[in-house]
Amino acid sequence: MFQKRSFDEGVRRALENIAGPENVFTDAAELLMYSYDAGLARAKPEAVVRFTSTDQVAPAAKLLYAAGIPYLPRIAGTNLSGGTIPLKGGVIFNLSLLNRIRQIDTINRLALVEPGVVNLRLQIELEKFGFFYAPDPASQKVSTIGGNIGENAGGPQCLKYGVTSDNVERLEVVTPEGDVKLWSYGDPGPDLMSLLIGSEGTLGIVTRAWLKILEKPKVVQTAVAAFASVENAVSAASGIIGAGIVPRALEAMDKISLDAAKKNLKTDYPPGTNAILLIELDGASDKKVAGELRAIMEICKTSFSTSFKTAADPAEREALWAARKGAYPAMARLAPNVMVEDGVVPRPRLPEALRETRDILSRYKLTAGLLFHAGDGNLHPNILFDARDLQEVKRVRNAGYEILKSCIRLGGAISGEHGIGVEKRVAMNWMYDAATLDFFGAIKAAFDPRDLVNPDKILPVAQDRRARTRAFPPGFLGEAAAVLITELQSRHNLGAKTAVTGSGESLRRDKRPLRGKWDGAGCKALDTTALNRILELDRENFTVRAEAGVPVGELRKWLKKAGFSIMLPDLDGTLGGVIAAKVWPPARDILLGMDVALADGSVLSFGGKTVKNVAGYDAMKLFCGSLGAYGVILTVTLRTTLHAGAQDTGYKTPVMRHKSQADGRNPVEFKPDEYHRRLKKAFDPGNLLNPWIYD
Amino acid sequence: MTKYDINELYDHTQEPFHLKHLLTDLGERTVYDAAAQCNRCGYCETVCPTYMLTGRETISARGRNQFLRLLIEGKTRDIDSARESFSTCLLCGACSSVCYAKVPTPDLVLEGRRSRDGYGRGFAARLGVDLLLNRRGVFELALKAGYLLKRLGLAALAGKLGFYDFLGLPALGAAQDALKHAPLKFLRKILLKDPALKPEGKKEAAWAYFAPCGPNYVFTEVGAATVALLKRFLGPGVFTDNFCCGLLAYNYGRVTEAREFAKKNILRFEELKKALGGFTVVGDCSSCVAFMKSYEQLFTEDEEWRPRAKAFAEAVKDILEALPTDKIKGRGPADGETVTYHDSCRACHGQGIRSEPRETLKKIAGKAFVELPESDWCCGGAGAYAFTQTALSERIADRKIRNIASTQAGTVLAGATSCLLQLNAGLKKKYPSARAVHYSVYMDNLTR
Ligand SMILES: Cc1cc2nc3c(=O)[nH]c(=O)nc-3n(C[C@H](O)[C@H](O)[C@H](O)COP(=O)(O)OP(=O)(O)OC[C@H]3O[C@@H](n4cnc5c(N)ncnc54)[C@H](O)[C@@H]3O)c2cc1C
Ligand code: SF4
Ligand code: SF4
Repeated sequence: MFQKRSFDEGVRRALENIAGPENVFTDAAELLMYSYDAGLARAKPEAVVRFTSTDQVAPAAKLLYAAGIPYLPRIAGTNLSGGTIPLKGGVIFNLSLLNRIRQIDTINRLALVEPGVVNLRLQIELEKFGFFYAPDPASQKVSTIGGNIGENAGGPQCLKYGVTSDNVERLEVVTPEGDVKLWSYGDPGPDLMSLLIGSEGTLGIVTRAWLKILEKPKVVQTAVAAFASVENAVSAASGIIGAGIVPRALEAMDKISLDAAKKNLKTDYPPGTNAILLIELDGASDKKVAGELRAIMEICKTSFSTSFKTAADPAEREALWAARKGAYPAMARLAPNVMVEDGVVPRPRLPEALRETRDILSRYKLTAGLLFHAGDGNLHPNILFDARDLQEVKRVRNAGYEILKSCIRLGGAISGEHGIGVEKRVAMNWMYDAATLDFFGAIKAAFDPRDLVNPDKILPVAQDRRARTRAFPPGFLGEAAAVLITELQSRHNLGAKTAVTGSGESLRRDKRPLRGKWDGAGCKALDTTALNRILELDRENFTVRAEAGVPVGELRKWLKKAGFSIMLPDLDGTLGGVIAAKVWPPARDILLGMDVALADGSVLSFGGKTVKNVAGYDAMKLFCGSLGAYGVILTVTLRTTLHAGAQDTGYKTPVMRHKSQADGRNPVEFKPDEYHRRLKKAFDPGNLLNPWIYD
Repeated sequence: MTKYDINELYDHTQEPFHLKHLLTDLGERTVYDAAAQCNRCGYCETVCPTYMLTGRETISARGRNQFLRLLIEGKTRDIDSARESFSTCLLCGACSSVCYAKVPTPDLVLEGRRSRDGYGRGFAARLGVDLLLNRRGVFELALKAGYLLKRLGLAALAGKLGFYDFLGLPALGAAQDALKHAPLKFLRKILLKDPALKPEGKKEAAWAYFAPCGPNYVFTEVGAATVALLKRFLGPGVFTDNFCCGLLAYNYGRVTEAREFAKKNILRFEELKKALGGFTVVGDCSSCVAFMKSYEQLFTEDEEWRPRAKAFAEAVKDILEALPTDKIKGRGPADGETVTYHDSCRACHGQGIRSEPRETLKKIAGKAFVELPESDWCCGGAGAYAFTQTALSERIADRKIRNIASTQAGTVLAGATSCLLQLNAGLKKKYPSARAVHYSVYMDNLTR
């Protein structure tokens, strides 16, 4: 725990000048009350500042940064990972009164809100206009937009509409040092906005957010299918996704959760029910939704469903949801504490993950209900315990860790939506190798060189650092990549500058006006043409992994032959080029994983095969628009859909192609922000890759 | 409990200040277990008026029960630092209503308050409670003296002399402007003279009217209306000639006296029951009714009184739920008149009464009934709260008044008398086109 020292009087007065004396708290009670959140970690701050205007945040940040005092943003404090615990003391920025909805713009489909707006309140306001905001965490009654952004929160609807980062258009951010920035994912250059999302308040504070809002669907249909085993339920879920149907919710729960919730249920399930699947569809017409529902019923039957109920009216719909929504509350009554674990695996591995989870729980003699977002492989064991029983807490922790390890083993991640904070810091070691953790550390240091903003979160600290250097499995990268890496290493040793050219038309064309410049910069070209293999098509998980030099057109053709399709328009150029040049910004939506070589030839792997993953910084997004200057993209893993069944997935061929993008403004005209530069310096201190960009 | 680390400095089970066990919706729990049931999910925060207005965890629902828990566990030993946290609680119970784990935060807050040195041990509170319990005549005389001063236009003087504080009723002092007709004849005296309400000679009765202090000492017309309604729709009944329910003492931290009040009322109930068989005890102030429904909690350690308290509690009903909707008949309000309904905290959160009064009202008022936005947001009255936490109470009330104004209703109904005081004070200042009326008075008027 943090050592007690009295808060500096001068700083206190300065904070009072910024936020008003009635909003600066240093009394024992206030400090005690900000020593906890919904997780288990504890530490007291030295002061709490409550802001009443977004304009006060930047000056306060600047002041504290200069004084070397740690601080962190906190709103509702419902995060489950200790994200708002001031591990090094310092100041808590209480943003809960920054809760104005400033604008709802139904024409441009944007809502401009302050961070303290409670998610559900926004939904209620939007509903008046016939709109909604897609992320719907179970905690939406109380959790806030700022907290949702901090954790990259998700909910049932994310299967269809994406997690928080897919639903944010632009952010106003106060950087650790107190500068105010306006970042959007569509800006030219590396995507700083997306990096901020899910960064758990360690890279800056969001003071305003422009959120994407959607029109409420005309038709919503809900159904519940019962199964005799969890395996059958998951196989049905896979069948549904496989058929190209994207429900707005595809939630599952096992018998224990169901039994817990049962007391308050009106709906009956056949005897022997061991799992249920809650399916919700939406769409523009009754006919379409009804058709999909029929198809789903057939799929469930093939997976041996023992009953299938459809809601006839809103009341019945509520009744069906009651089981799913009532599960957590029911568990909360069974014991003083419920640990909501949060792991992800590729969906086809769900049955295995669930089996392993059950084994682990029984080995540790723990009771838990399993709830999971079946559509995206995100599982939430709700483990019962009493925090006062230290032995039991230990068992819960260890069981949680084993569950996470099992998720990693199955190709998944240690958090789908709740974040890392302090509670899963150590698990980062199991998920990532030392180089990747260093890379994350470099991002943090670039934003926060003095390590003052929400310190000691996300990344393992010295005492729990055990990550190893990674030994890539043979064939993981392939020969062409190996050659390229060796070349990068030797150039790095010589200090030779490189122009990453790729074979992609786009990148080459984009650079053409600069050719003189890179020749002038003394660069040697590095051709990525040889990275031309399509490595793996996972037919059950609907993902494809390919080397970065594969032309988009070729991948599309290849997938079509295999019966799949991909939400990428027919762009010229390679996968790597298209992504690095941000030719088509929405490409980020289907990007699940990426291997990159940095300027020194070290190789990093980000993401994987899961749709959801909030473990660590969303570094992949930095390579979207990086123009080859941050590193060389070696492979990408992309989400695909079944070609035959591909239905409305929201994809439309873009009207504008990159040639005319943004009124002829070329992405190369990107003017690096201060933070782009800092990151460049961190990743490529010698400015070896595409050096003209950061001249 | 040995496996837990408990604060030896903070004895939260100490007699006579504490209840050892609470009866929560999950069953009987020690105070510590009841507090430990909170897993800090935070779901209660967005319904807690004090949190919503201030954004401060320290004066939020989760904060309050965490504070008590940390005190019990010895993680903080400074009981005085909890003063603000506990004393700003409205005890409205909105938090418990939404809590999945059924944490009884208001009860825990009271436990916390009682643990503070001096709480409930102050002279005024002690005297007021003592008079009310043991020397009702003296109490009533003093109250009348205060009212007399008021009638003479010397309200401020009465306030200054501390009459109401003296009686443990600072809220009355604060609300004296709102008291239009401070009664000089108390309801009990009036009802005792009504031959139809006498138990003597009766073999059975459908109901027994319990006169809470609000109707008894301040709003006599409310009690009269309730009795009229009961006679009209439930048949013959009696007046219990009861004592104060004990809530005043309980909220002041005087648990022992609260038990004494309860015992007196239980005895009275048992006497009547012997003569009349089964009947419903109907009260018309939701705070008192809710408290009487929880009498059992006062006697969890007392084998003799516990079942008797339970039997009493089971017979109690709020007038808000006592009227038979199917039998109710009346004329609607005059054309253009609209009415809305404020959920008194102790009705909706304390007793779960929400739909019953609405259904009955709709039957009578029809389209003239409009829903009040945030109808279960506390009015800020909360007993002495308006007096002790003036600034916060006013902001809480403002939001209520704004919501009432948004309905354009001319009448807002409530079932607790402290709501009537608070609402009328606020309406008078900020939205004089509406007034707050007790549910009974309104219903009696339209069904006469
Ligand atoms: C019962 C329960 C159910 C839950 N269900 C879900 C669920 O279904 N899905 C889900 O995703 N999560 C869920 N959560 C977790 C939690 O609600 C989310 O993480 C939520 O987004 C946190 O929001 P908050 O307002 O409480 O933020 P806080 O807990 O206050 O903060 C969360 C993080 O964001 C940072 N932060 C806060 N404000 C800002 C800002 N303005 N700028 C930058 N960073 C900021 C903080 O430093 C912290 O690291 C659940 C939690 C509980 C208790
Ligand atoms: S009191 Fe209940 S609702 Fe509030 S934080 Fe605790 S468990 Fe959650
Ligand atoms: S009783 Fe009311 S004021 Fe007190 S904590 Fe609960 S919601 Fe807040």
